Amino acid sequence: MKMKSVRIIALKKDRKRLLEHLQNSALVHVKHTDNADEGFVRTDTASQLKQFEKNAELMEKCLKILGNVAPEKKSILAGLKGRREIDSDEIGDIALQAGKIIGICKKIVKLDSQITDNISEQARIKTSLAQLEVWKKLDIPLNTGDVGSMAVFIGTFPKEYDEQSLSETIAEKAPELIFEVEIVYSSSNITSAVIYTPKKQKDKADVTLRGMGFVRPLNPTSKIPADKSKRLFKKSVDLRAKNEELRDEIAKYAEYRDNIRDTLDYFELRAEKYRVISELDQSEHIFVLNGYIPEDDCQKLEEVCKKIPSAIIEFEEADENAPVKLKNNKFAEPAESIVTMYSPPSHDDIDPTPILAFFFYFFFGMMFSDAGYGLLLVIATAVGLKVLKPDKPMRNNLKLFQYCGISTIFWGLIFGSVFGDAPVVFYKLFTGNEITMKQLMPWMLDTQKDALFIMIMSIGFGLVHVLVGMGCKFYVCLRQKKYMEAFCDTGLWMLMLIGFAILAAGMAVSHVLVYIGAGIAIACAVGLILTQGREKKGIFGKLIGGVASLYDITSYVSDLLSYSRLLALGLTTGVMAQVFNMLSTLMGKNIIGIIFMIVIFLAGHAITIGLNALGSYVHTMRLQYVEMFSKFYEGGGKAFEPFSLKTKNFKIKNTDE
Amino acid sequence: MGMIYTIIGIAIATVLAGIGSAKGVGAAAQASMGVLSEDSSMFGKMLVLTLLPGTQGLYGFIVAFLMLIGAGVLGGGDVITWQQGMAYLGASLSVGIGGLVSGIAQGKAAVAGISMCAKDEKNFSKAMVSITLVEIYALLAFIVSLLTVISIPNIKF
Repeated sequence: MKMKSVRIIALKKDRKRLLEHLQNSALVHVKHTDNADEGFVRTDTASQLKQFEKNAELMEKCLKILGNVAPEKKSILAGLKGRREIDSDEIGDIALQAGKIIGICKKIVKLDSQITDNISEQARIKTSLAQLEVWKKLDIPLNTGDVGSMAVFIGTFPKEYDEQSLSETIAEKAPELIFEVEIVYSSSNITSAVIYTPKKQKDKADVTLRGMGFVRPLNPTSKIPADKSKRLFKKSVDLRAKNEELRDEIAKYAEYRDNIRDTLDYFELRAEKYRVISELDQSEHIFVLNGYIPEDDCQKLEEVCKKIPSAIIEFEEADENAPVKLKNNKFAEPAESIVTMYSPPSHDDIDPTPILAFFFYFFFGMMFSDAGYGLLLVIATAVGLKVLKPDKPMRNNLKLFQYCGISTIFWGLIFGSVFGDAPVVFYKLFTGNEITMKQLMPWMLDTQKDALFIMIMSIGFGLVHVLVGMGCKFYVCLRQKKYMEAFCDTGLWMLMLIGFAILAAGMAVSHVLVYIGAGIAIACAVGLILTQGREKKGIFGKLIGGVASLYDITSYVSDLLSYSRLLALGLTTGVMAQVFNMLSTLMGKNIIGIIFMIVIFLAGHAITIGLNALGSYVHTMRLQYVEMFSKFYEGGGKAFEPFSLKTKNFKIKNTDE
Repeated sequence: MGMIYTIIGIAIATVLAGIGSAKGVGAAAQASMGVLSEDSSMFGKMLVLTLLPGTQGLYGFIVAFLMLIGAGVLGGGDVITWQQGMAYLGASLSVGIGGLVSGIAQGKAAVAGISMCAKDEKNFSKAMVSITLVEIYALLAFIVSLLTVISIPNIKF
């Protein structure tokens, strides 16, 4: 759609109202520039912005915490639903409540951090408990030092000992040492023990024991281990209970969830507005807003600005950096998302959406190719559109698949596939008579028997697709008055491909066509040799450049072969459906057999639909992006993103078309 | 004798192509689960990228299925000659080996695509298209096997 530059000038006192009107009407894409024009200054809104963003972050965190503590009951389809509609007055209410909601959110976050603290405390207790485990049977405090004339060693050895073996080992190492041993705990790699020696032999004992790998406990406690362990355990239980309480307390705030969402949106709105304010050129009394607007919307903008008496609008032709807004009819509009997913068109590009839309539906149908599945797709999307009333992007996605579904029905009928060969299989099961799909649909092409023909047909469609892409290039070049590029680079190749096509058709039909086709191809080849090296220097350079360009034929061949996936994926859908149909009738037509049949039939076709719809979508997209777009489409444009209410939860009535 | 060769061929087509896809999807699934552990909202995109190397197994299976029907393994149809059996065996090699190698290669591409997509979701379509570039070779192998299997009953040996 054609863009205009727009400049709105107004008195500063009207700034708030004007921006609100602009945001509600979502007409203008605000131009981003780094510096103000001469004589103007910018307002730095970074600190306010940061505050809003911080609040929004807080809300998001709260929603996440609430989601963990008190999960919402939501259906899978809820994500498709449109935003809630509210009156513009309600925004005021939300703004009034914002302070309260922030308070609640802070409380929630605080409670949550208490929970986190408690959990890490629990983990600490758990390690302490594990350390105490080996001392459970000890009846004196762990940090017991010397008692009277006795030195006490409490610690562990990294080996398994019993009382006897430990005594023997110590005696062996230090025969003169007088000691007594008491084993507290012993297992395959640790032994905890208490060793008593006379005080005067303390140093000696210390050295000996150390030599055996004796270690004192890390955090010796002054309590009796069993008691301490019990106390810690109780504390851990208490903490767990406390956490439950905290969670319940958080869960109580779940009723505010919607308010929090609203407030989150509110802060996003404010942030968006302040981002725009920072782009305004301001002087003492007035401010200037520079932006872009689609040509068709200029009138609407004038009406909006009439509400602000001081506002003056100026329109100009847009420059090259203008953002791009695609505008298409109902048929092509759903495919816009496919184009923008690649890249919005640049200033020089034509809008490829209508062409892409047609081929997208066409190829998707040919790959998915089953009347039954297509019908399901159409019904499901129709119900989705009717019941959920989704917002625009989702609505377009559903419509995309609806059109694809129609095409799928069409191709399903051509390939004689209705849930695979279900009609035939069930007819045979219940009547015992043989019948073929061909008898039911005499016009059909059998994907298995006529595979070769369908492959040639696929490549034929591919040729058309590629030629259309090149045609676009031809048109773009003509529009930019690059006649050499249009006729020599694109035109000759197009003619050459057509020549080959005639030649190939001629081989099946008549010799005359072969000669005509070959003639065209050779003429084009000569043309290419003569023109393709035109930018090189010297006669030889030119000739070699020309001949080398003929090598491009390989890329055209591989492009065309790539369309054989139309056959491959179409066949895949058909065969998988057929396999499941066959499996479903394996058990015959008794009661168990029928139940078995229903289960296998439903599950099998669900799998087939899932896998093949995905495959068809991906491969159709690839054919557009790689085979067609590479012929003419540059991309790299900027999408039109108007200054608007970018909310997730609510939308304001009668502003969102 | 022909039947035995055919059955070996059926196994080759299913198993080799299946191994390729299993390895590819397995690697991609590991990578995507790594991404999902950070951000579970990407599930849809990750699923698409993960499933891309899955087609090879499907192609192998379809060729095998057509051989099951064509050679009459199901329903014990006509007796096929040993030459025909060898021909089926040969036809299975294309999709089997082609699927095996391209499945693994596509899996590697999918892993790279997933990490690219994890950095910036806008890269999704580029990743997807790049991964499907590998697919063409599986596709060519599949078409060759397919056309051969379909025409074997009409070939005079």
